[in-house]
Amino acid sequence: MDEGEDVPKDFIKLKSEKLSVDEVSELVISPYCGAVSLFIGTTRNNFEGKRVIHLEYEAYTSMAETEIKKICRDVRQKWPSVKHIAVHHRLGVVPITEASVIIAVSSPHRAESLEAVMYCINTLKATVPIWKKEIYEDEYSWKENKECFWANSEK
Amino acid sequence: RPPSGRRRHREPAAEGCPPGNGGSMRCQVSVLYFARSAELAGLRCETLSVPRQITALQLWEEIVKVHPRLAVIRDQVVFAVRQEYVLLGDQLLVLQPGDEVAIIPPISGG
Repeated sequence: MDEGEDVPKDFIKLKSEKLSVDEVSELVISPYCGAVSLFIGTTRNNFEGKRVIHLEYEAYTSMAETEIKKICRDVRQKWPSVKHIAVHHRLGVVPITEASVIIAVSSPHRAESLEAVMYCINTLKATVPIWKKEIYEDEYSWKENKECFWANSEK
Repeated sequence: RPPSGRRRHREPAAEGCPPGNGGSMRCQVSVLYFARSAELAGLRCETLSVPRQITALQLWEEIVKVHPRLAVIRDQVVFAVRQEYVLLGDQLLVLQPGDEVAIIPPISGG
């Protein structure tokens, strides 16, 4: 079959509006793929016994997009059969239970897209310049991913 | 390359830029502050004049002179110079006018 009409694409978006699982999955659907794998990161309502009111995200947007493109490029090197990749990350205020990040990957068979989605979120947490602030009742806290290669939370 | 037979007008070397002597020269860079560093500095971006050739650590010291409150996060941040991560260490940076230098506290995306 001629897959020339379905060129592999990366869909990267940072936006302040509510994310849509339908929208992100539809971006990666392909007639040549039997699998679409999804990751949704949602906001929890508690941290160490404190009630989280909401989250706020900010980003170094131009560099974040570049770093996400690098992740997509790495995914295609590691899993050449991957077809489309979509990474949507929300910025600004994210209420509890709403999605802060949605990642979708399509591939002909399920193993590659499942592995690629996990690689995407793990690498995003280690390398993409996006920051999350947790707002509690009386205070707030800038979070630090344990994956961040220069952070040392034991200091 | 210009087609043969036609020579491009060559600009004279800019004054004050003798070759091989970048150490004493300064240039204007855009410094971007994010997350906690923006709160401590009290702003999100500014233009600073810094030496063209400088180690990452020296660049940090220059920025802390302007915003002393940043000193408390020294052990947690890295730079992004022209959107490439640089640890605060001895790496020599060669800066160009208009370069973006971002202060990057520990990230928490996803």
